[in-house]
Amino acid sequence: MRRTKPPSIATWILRHLTLGNLNDALAGDLLEEFRAGRSSRWYWRQVLQAIAIAFVRDVFSHLDVLFFAALWSMLTPAWLLTIANIELRYHLNERCWQMVWPWSTVCDLGLLLAANLIFIWVGIALYLIPHLWIAGGLQFRRFGRGLFASIPVLIALWAALIVLPKFFLGGQLVEQHSVAPVSMFSINHPIPIAIQQVSPQEQWDVRYGEKVIDPYINPRNAIADLRLATMIVRLPFFFSILCTLWGVTSRLGNRSNRIAE
Amino acid sequence: MTERSYLGEFELMILLTVIHLGDEAYGVPISRELERHRGREVSVGSVYAALERLENKGLVASSLGDPTPERGGKAKRYFRITKSGLGQVHETRQVLSKLWQALPELKGERT
Repeated sequence: MRRTKPPSIATWILRHLTLGNLNDALAGDLLEEFRAGRSSRWYWRQVLQAIAIAFVRDVFSHLDVLFFAALWSMLTPAWLLTIANIELRYHLNERCWQMVWPWSTVCDLGLLLAANLIFIWVGIALYLIPHLWIAGGLQFRRFGRGLFASIPVLIALWAALIVLPKFFLGGQLVEQHSVAPVSMFSINHPIPIAIQQVSPQEQWDVRYGEKVIDPYINPRNAIADLRLATMIVRLPFFFSILCTLWGVTSRLGNRSNRIAE
Repeated sequence: MTERSYLGEFELMILLTVIHLGDEAYGVPISRELERHRGREVSVGSVYAALERLENKGLVASSLGDPTPERGGKAKRYFRITKSGLGQVHETRQVLSKLWQALPELKGERT
């Protein structure tokens, strides 16, 4: 007896492919061929090939986004240096911890998120404003949606980066706060008593771990730092900007296609 | 003056298949024809990717057919060659014909 239902997982994957307005036609063609006697193996092969083609095509159509995300994330250590200087001068974290729980934690997490999001949002804004303008007028709602899309991406990547290095990078970095410069937690959660008793230079070392990022004399040195640990620091910023801009520009592309049709 | 891009081998095959199939040119018959002539399996995804490129270049145009139950309610997308596409195929044939005249015979080839 001939099977009429193709592998459901393959169909689900195909449905979520981004071949634009041709996706439905492709799904229909594969189903028609399957019902005409093609095997499940053939169906899977076709779906996987379609995914690979769509992925390569997507990468080539987002080369500018890739380049921009890489360029902007190179500035990350300089931004973290700025944040650390602000913290050392104004002791924002200490002020947070003077509050009553749970406000102290809320304030702490708010600082963490704000410090990272400001950098990411400035980057996204720099890319999106001219692009939205060209794509038919800058609308606040579309721009705002683009910015807020970065929040879940950022949180997910942070969560992964806080957990993953402990498994993949071995003890050396873990001891030195493996994600120390990435996370405001490293600024917010060193050993407070010890820090108050040491010099600013030592504070930096305690907070960041000198093996992770040296105390830079100026931000240019931070930007030029290409060591593994510093590259890991750049990763969440790179992926946050990349994923957000990729999603927003793809939606813009789909919208233009629909209008063209 | 518009910039003219050359047709790739696969794109040319697809254009010729679309011409050959006429009003019945959609993904399934195009892929079957290509498979028959090339003698190996064709990825339907790559056929669509090439058709999309050709459509963006203005060499083919597409329209949606009616959804059918054997396709799970999905409509067929029919392709037809445009005037510009036909012109490009003719031009490619002329160029290739001239170039093939200079093709040396393979040693030991039986004629």
